[in-house]
Amino acid sequence: MPEIRIDRLTKRFKDVVAVDDLTFSFPEGQVTCLLGPSGCGKTTLLRMIAGLETPTSGSIYFGDVDLTQLAPRKRNIGMVFQYPVVYRGISVYKNIELPLLKRKIPQNERKQRIEEALELLNLQDQATKDSSQLDNVSRQKVSVARAISYHPDIILFDEPMTNIDANSKVQFSHFFKELSKKLNQVIVYVTHDQTEAMTLADQIALMEDGRMVQCNEPRTLYNEPEEVFGGWFLGNPGMNFIDAHCAQSGGNDSLISSFLKSPLNIATNGLDREVTIGIRPEHIKVSETAFSNAVNADVKRKSITVGGQFLFVIEVDRVEVKAKVSHPSNELMNAQSVWVEFPVEHIVLFNQNQKRVHAELTYVRK
Amino acid sequence: MDTVVEFRGVSKKYSDLMVLEDINLSIRQDDFMVIYGLPSSGKTVLLRLLMGLEAPDAGDIILRRENVRHMSPKIRNIGYVPQDFALIPHKTIFENIAYPLRLMKKPTREIKPVVERAASMLSIEELLDKLPTQLSGGQKQRVAVARGVVKETDIYLFDDPLAGLDFKLRERLIDDLRRLQEDMAACFFYATSDPIESLTLAASIAVLHERTICEIGDPQTIYFNPHHLSTIDILGFPRANLLDGRIIRKASEVWCQTNFLEFPIAVDAEVATVENPMDVTVAVRPESIQKILGRDEKCLTADIYLREDLGAEEIIYLNIQDSNLTMVNPSSQTGHNDVGDQISISMNTASFFVFEKDTGNRIGRGVDNFNA
Repeated sequence: MPEIRIDRLTKRFKDVVAVDDLTFSFPEGQVTCLLGPSGCGKTTLLRMIAGLETPTSGSIYFGDVDLTQLAPRKRNIGMVFQYPVVYRGISVYKNIELPLLKRKIPQNERKQRIEEALELLNLQDQATKDSSQLDNVSRQKVSVARAISYHPDIILFDEPMTNIDANSKVQFSHFFKELSKKLNQVIVYVTHDQTEAMTLADQIALMEDGRMVQCNEPRTLYNEPEEVFGGWFLGNPGMNFIDAHCAQSGGNDSLISSFLKSPLNIATNGLDREVTIGIRPEHIKVSETAFSNAVNADVKRKSITVGGQFLFVIEVDRVEVKAKVSHPSNELMNAQSVWVEFPVEHIVLFNQNQKRVHAELTYVRK
Repeated sequence: MDTVVEFRGVSKKYSDLMVLEDINLSIRQDDFMVIYGLPSSGKTVLLRLLMGLEAPDAGDIILRRENVRHMSPKIRNIGYVPQDFALIPHKTIFENIAYPLRLMKKPTREIKPVVERAASMLSIEELLDKLPTQLSGGQKQRVAVARGVVKETDIYLFDDPLAGLDFKLRERLIDDLRRLQEDMAACFFYATSDPIESLTLAASIAVLHERTICEIGDPQTIYFNPHHLSTIDILGFPRANLLDGRIIRKASEVWCQTNFLEFPIAVDAEVATVENPMDVTVAVRPESIQKILGRDEKCLTADIYLREDLGAEEIIYLNIQDSNLTMVNPSSQTGHNDVGDQISISMNTASFFVFEKDTGNRIGRGVDNFNA
């Protein structure tokens, strides 16, 4: 199956640019998550691919075929919505059969495809059940079964877990992962939930204000944000950002911040004088005793977070940062004043335009 | 510090349905008390009783040392932030925030500085001339908070004000709310069904479960040393594992047995006798299960049902001998596994808590230096 390619795609609603001049490819056999806050344009993009919105300008290709002007029903796209669409009063089997009947698929093949879909989604036992007796996950599974049974070229998911409770989300995610490995189509999955995207995606396209900020494999996106926005949006809490100063001395650039014990050598060009240091809460080292390269900081607050870890809010020169600590000692828990280090390998630098500058940082040897 | 609110044996029912039963709670003047419970556990009812929008069927509510039984809602003087922003669509943000003061018939010259101060505390000064439709969800919620705190009083109620907002907005607003309470030094009584929000905001947490308050304490105490099954069951993310078990005796020691492990327990001092045998529930926090590399005969093996990546942590859902287990660990520590892999795990039973199955009361906990 070919990929989907969008070329300079734009959608305007009156004065609002929902999708802004996007060029991008969705590879076959991969799950691409469109991730971003509400209003970033991810759903509009999905709807344009489905043919439910007409682009203001630009094109959508499926392989070499231009889909842009094609009616939705001619696109051969399967779509799963936020609210599971099932027809009540008829069986699960019939629910899956309906779109196949509409497409005039012969009976033998119909039967075969339905059974295939039921098996893929582990719904065999529910086939004869009336769909109104199903729980939310099973209902959503039925919508997925229907979407895949007519062998669409592309499957689109629009926040399919929004209305599913926490326990069932685990089930749905499990089956989604198993299913996506078996399918060889283009799968596009829209969500605002970073954990969902990190868990399910082969690649994440992060969006903000109608543009694509960055597209990478999940861990790369998390570890190597190309913009401040990516560092902030991923992670719970997101990256800390601290203003820092870039100084020149003796032909070398060095980075100065009150969170750094001594200036760092920077091996790069094109750095602004005022830059931003980004560092993730779990990468900050905190101790109650002094250690090499650590600076003194005050503990403002601490609270319990995911998995019984502690989130320390610490302050240096009236700037607060959040640090995640896994198993704090009693001494650390009681300390009002602590020592912190930003390990150089975890520092990410951003210019004033919020874009990342790749730079090797090293401590100045004395 | 003085107590400003007290619930004494308060119960509330709607026709035959008991919603709250024998609620006892006292809140200090400068407290940030979170009332934590699952959705529809009766948190809103508790707030409405305090505001006077509902009357209790039994018990008393004491507000600033006075019994409220005959006190109308109007004179209770309590600030309130609802879950639903409920902004008035055709009025400016200024007027929306000023609304409670207009109701009190305050003169405009007095209203203006108060509204501006509330707006500045929540960094929404530049929105005052706009209409609600021009605001984003997070901005609207800030306006709702500003409107709730504009009334100058000493008690403010918050009914799950961040529910339904996306998690990045919540992250910011949690910081704002915490700071706001410190600045105002007032009593905040705050209902939520989010465990991390509770643990982050609260000076003290009251856990509301099955109609009644099962435990009250500061976050660290009740998280690390829970005395009721419901507390460890619902307060924590990811939620704790609950395993069926029973008490057995081995010589003079008390042991607990589940379908895949056996471990000695230290019985709490206040528990007089432990019946033998006795059905219990063992609560295991996801962080007390560790992945181990390599394998030896002693360790347990489990299959990965799902691995969720939170960025800084991973949550792993496991199947082990017909039981489901959830574990969490900082993902930087070990290599990644995925669905279908088999891994070896070890558990530190010192962090296991054992509760009587029928009552949820604690019997004891695992002892140190015993690894399953």
